Amino acid sequence: MSRRAEARDEAAFLRGDAGVDGAATEADDRDEAERERDAAREQLLRGHAFLGRELLTWLLWRSESTAPIARVDGEDVSVVFTGRLVLRGAFGDVTELVARGTQAPYSAQVKRALDAGLLVHQARLRIEHGERAWEATLDAEHLDVRAAKLPDLIAEEDDERLLERLFLSQRLSALLDALVGEFLAVRQGRGWGRKEVPELKRWMRGE
Amino acid sequence: MALQSGSATFSRFTVQPPAGDPRKWLVRGLGRGKFEPLDLQRSEDDRAAGFVEREETDSTRFPMGAVTLGEWALFAWRVDSVAVRASAVKAELSKWEAAFGAKNRRPPARAERATARETIRRELRLRTPVATRTFDVTWNLSTGELLAWTASRKVVDEIAAAIETAFEAELTPGSPAALAARGGAVLAKLGPTAELVGAPRGAEVAR
Repeated sequence: MSRRAEARDEAAFLRGDAGVDGAATEADDRDEAERERDAAREQLLRGHAFLGRELLTWLLWRSESTAPIARVDGEDVSVVFTGRLVLRGAFGDVTELVARGTQAPYSAQVKRALDAGLLVHQARLRIEHGERAWEATLDAEHLDVRAAKLPDLIAEEDDERLLERLFLSQRLSALLDALVGEFLAVRQGRGWGRKEVPELKRWMRGE
Repeated sequence: MALQSGSATFSRFTVQPPAGDPRKWLVRGLGRGKFEPLDLQRSEDDRAAGFVEREETDSTRFPMGAVTLGEWALFAWRVDSVAVRASAVKAELSKWEAAFGAKNRRPPARAERATARETIRRELRLRTPVATRTFDVTWNLSTGELLAWTASRKVVDEIAAAIETAFEAELTPGSPAALAARGGAVLAKLGPTAELVGAPRGAEVAR
């Protein structure tokens, strides 16, 4: 055996990849599809990302009627999904699906995919509160705000404009917290499994 | 800059601030986590990160006037890094090999080549310009809301860890799971809704 091959075997042994007989200790004999599904399941559970996905999916359902979803400081908060939507699943053959198009979020195709077990992982939302409107892309795991369009600024001085942007960013954050609060109240209530989920499934099936 | 104009991208946290006068602990905390420049001559480190003033990213003096605006603390997270391109090392090594062959009338031995590669990498490292990036951090000292203005999850995690260490403060992310935990939910007992994630009957979906 060459010195290089010997060193390679020794390194594998030290890493715990190989036993004293040189045979692999834990051969990964899963096929490609199984590895993908395992990774998708890991993503679903990591940091309780499923909660965020269920939240965005619930919001999509609730927003279709255009009725307000929460109230902040005495004013309604309503949500509309606009444009691109990323769906992810963990148990089927499809682990990710991207839907594009102005009407895509509320389309029958997206609902069918949701009914098949995919959930919304990333979406572009328009959030309205009183006379102001924000647009932002949100991800399910962290609920980070991406490429947000803030309402028009009124201030003219640099420092005042900065303070106004900070105020509007913080306001957006408060609206998101209010939406999450509404969802969590439903999700942790007794009606979630008995009432809410069956209704959501009926909506997905177009019933 | 994202904070000053254009679309807004940020990750959200709530910070339980240290007790006492913010004017004292803010400056003290920033000083504790301040940016220390890379010293390529004396150190092997290829990356340095820390807090700097937002408008003067070379300054780590943090006078109150420079790091506060209204009820907000404004500062930046600076990351300096130096990366020697493998292609540059390869090109220099080829030149060295040609010169070695011409001088010694034999190709270099493996050990000689390895030594030369390391020498070349070190020389190139000293000649490679340091890349600097800064990311805004805004912290509402009244509400405790902290926004890290970057899309990079790695940088966000780094900033959060630095804040926790420098201010001995506890950070709660704005994720649905963290908000649920803050509301009293026991995350360990919380699993995905089987009907929504498309889990086959009997499949284990929760951790």
